Amino acid sequence: MTVDTVAVRVRGLWKRFGEQTAVAGIDLDLPAGRFIGLVGPNGAGKTTTLSMLTGLLRPDAGTVEVVGHDLWHDPTEVKARIGVLPEGLRLFERLSGRELLAYTGRLRGLPGAEVDKRATQLLDVLDLAGAQHKLVVDYSTGMRKKIGLAAALLHNPEILFLDEPFEGVDPVSAQTIRGVLERYTASGATVVFSSHVMELVESLCDWVAVMAAGRIRAHGPLAEVRGAAPSLQQAFLELVGAHGRAAVSDLDWLGGGAR
Amino acid sequence: MTADAGTGAAPTAAATTTTPVTAVVVRLKLALLRNGLRQSAGRRAAYLASLVLLLLFAALQLVGLIALRGDPHAVNVTVPLTAVLGLGWAVMPLFFPGGDETLDPTRLVMLPLRPRPLVRALLLASLVGIGPLFALCLLAGSVVATAHGPAAYVTGVVAAVLALLVCVALARAVATANLRLLTSRRGRDLAVLSGLVIAIGAQLVNFGAQKLGSSGLATLDPAADVLRWVPPASALGAVDSVSEGSYAAGAAQLALSGLALAALLAHWQRGLTRLMTSPDGSTLQAAEPVRDGAGRSSGAVRLLPAGRTGTVMERSLRYVWRDPKTKAAWVTSLAIGLIVPVFNAVQGTGSVYFACFAAGMLGIQMYNQFGQDTSAFWMVATTISSTRDAYVELRGRALALLLITLPYATLVTVLTTALLGDWAALPEVLGLSFALLGAMLATGAWSSARFPYSIPQDGYKNVAPGQAGLAWISIFGGMVSAALLCAPVIALTIYFDTTATGETWSWLLLPLGTLYGTALTLAGLHLAAPRTATRLPEILTAVSKA
Repeated sequence: MTVDTVAVRVRGLWKRFGEQTAVAGIDLDLPAGRFIGLVGPNGAGKTTTLSMLTGLLRPDAGTVEVVGHDLWHDPTEVKARIGVLPEGLRLFERLSGRELLAYTGRLRGLPGAEVDKRATQLLDVLDLAGAQHKLVVDYSTGMRKKIGLAAALLHNPEILFLDEPFEGVDPVSAQTIRGVLERYTASGATVVFSSHVMELVESLCDWVAVMAAGRIRAHGPLAEVRGAAPSLQQAFLELVGAHGRAAVSDLDWLGGGAR
Repeated sequence: MTADAGTGAAPTAAATTTTPVTAVVVRLKLALLRNGLRQSAGRRAAYLASLVLLLLFAALQLVGLIALRGDPHAVNVTVPLTAVLGLGWAVMPLFFPGGDETLDPTRLVMLPLRPRPLVRALLLASLVGIGPLFALCLLAGSVVATAHGPAAYVTGVVAAVLALLVCVALARAVATANLRLLTSRRGRDLAVLSGLVIAIGAQLVNFGAQKLGSSGLATLDPAADVLRWVPPASALGAVDSVSEGSYAAGAAQLALSGLALAALLAHWQRGLTRLMTSPDGSTLQAAEPVRDGAGRSSGAVRLLPAGRTGTVMERSLRYVWRDPKTKAAWVTSLAIGLIVPVFNAVQGTGSVYFACFAAGMLGIQMYNQFGQDTSAFWMVATTISSTRDAYVELRGRALALLLITLPYATLVTVLTTALLGDWAALPEVLGLSFALLGAMLATGAWSSARFPYSIPQDGYKNVAPGQAGLAWISIFGGMVSAALLCAPVIALTIYFDTTATGETWSWLLLPLGTLYGTALTLAGLHLAAPRTATRLPEILTAVSKA
């Protein structure tokens, strides 16, 4: 796949919740075959944007094209090609991990035997085989993220959208998730994930979009966005205008042993 | 901490700490009560209102019980009443685990307390509150209604105190034994079912009271004969025995209650010691692999159709059993759908047409289908990309519902008909039931797509705040529409029943009603499918509010 192929094309995307504007006009072309990070502080509109890119939320205005098909006019073409792991939404938690995968795969229209084969492999790779017959409601946060990732990967999508996949996940599970995602992008697939942990994005992604207050502040290959800054963290703080705020002289009484 | 922490503590301190511990715990209970009330005006108002209501109720039943005095069957009321009171105290902590913070001895685990003074202190602290006050009123009334003569009154005072202590100790022992359960997921699941126990219990009490009203207190004789030997009701049994001069029986009955109290306290103390000296196992339990669920059900699952239909049916049916909210709704519908027609038929006040109640109650389960999914509906939404997908999804859910409803409605109808002996009416009632079921499925599917709302997963509420109006429109609008849709079948039934030649043709209502119900369901699904397919994000937003 060439670098120029566009996986997701977004034009004039808007979303308001009452008085609050969550997403204020986004134009963005996400390149195919990349590991893409959508970064921004809490409340920047990352979840709202990802929900609109995946058809879970209807935008007030704007268009979303996924691999050349309009999301709202041609959902059949789009939904089969994308995998989603949303944040803050439940799973069917009264199913066991294996039942959840069997259910999702069959809803996706895959043959039963194929679903069961893939589920077994995914459960193994994601280190969930021991808990496959346990109800998801009894899973830990890390296990939930992993079973959600398995459900999103089951139909071998071209593009994977992950909202905060590492939030609240222990280091061991995080490493497992990372390994699976790296293997997945190495095969030419696209991953779009949101996070506010800059180090994570810097170490995983080769393309980033920086979001703040409902707008895209910068986007492009990682090196380009980072520019002359020593780290993505520094570049990010400058972009969102929070740089230098740490150098406050208040609290000078704090620490040092003196009363 | 070791298992014998209680006996290992400094022996000299034992005598002096006994009284203070009790005083401290009772004061703690009062402080918790006071602070709880201080927290908000609403809570204060609710507490005062419940206090006034409870006192009113207690006064009324006191008057009632005193009025019962002199009735030869008075003991048939007071003894079962005390038994019910004891049962109530036993199950209360299972269903209202968050009700009393002092019920949770793990909060005291860091304090160097010995089990025996602690049990005494907690027992006395438990006597503070509205519940014990209510129980005391009830017991006092029962004693007044039952006792005759000075000896009986003396026994009565002892009996009332003993019965109250047994009740409170029972609640405490059950709560301590089940504390691990109550703080676990399974325990919380159980708590969600409590609304159902109350709903069904109210129905049963209602029918019981009707039966009692029609045939008199003598019907309770056999029950009272057994219960008068079961603590805490045996304390009241002792009052009656002493009134009638059989002092030996009275002493035995009192002793039974006393023994029960001692056994409960011992059990409670053992549970308390174990609880406070062993680590919290709730997370350890969660890490253990549970029973092999997949292998168990795969046999029956294979009988379901392949593809999306079977997949949706399987998930829906699993949720009926595994999801506490869905299970509570189903069991309530199943129970009330059976109780109303059958109990009415048993009492001879019913009509065969009451059997349609089963179909109506079960049809309600088709309403707010996506709300029952909670925000997990996104998993469904991401796999629906055409009207056809939405149609198959809704049809799968309707089929899962029919798998339970169709045999159940038939069973209830046949049972009701058999009880009333009106076999000639069976075909038309069945036809009417099936038509109603079809109409409920149709309107349910449509309103699931048009008026979805969130169902909170915890607690007793079935509607998220701010969506009550939506729920009303959905269910009551749907039920009225379903009744209107059934109008042709109802009209036909009336026509057949009122005309002379109609009798011979009324069997026609079975095939006609079935066909009509099927047609309605299919039409409803076809109308609901495009709405569902085009409104996926809106439905997801509506069902994700809790």
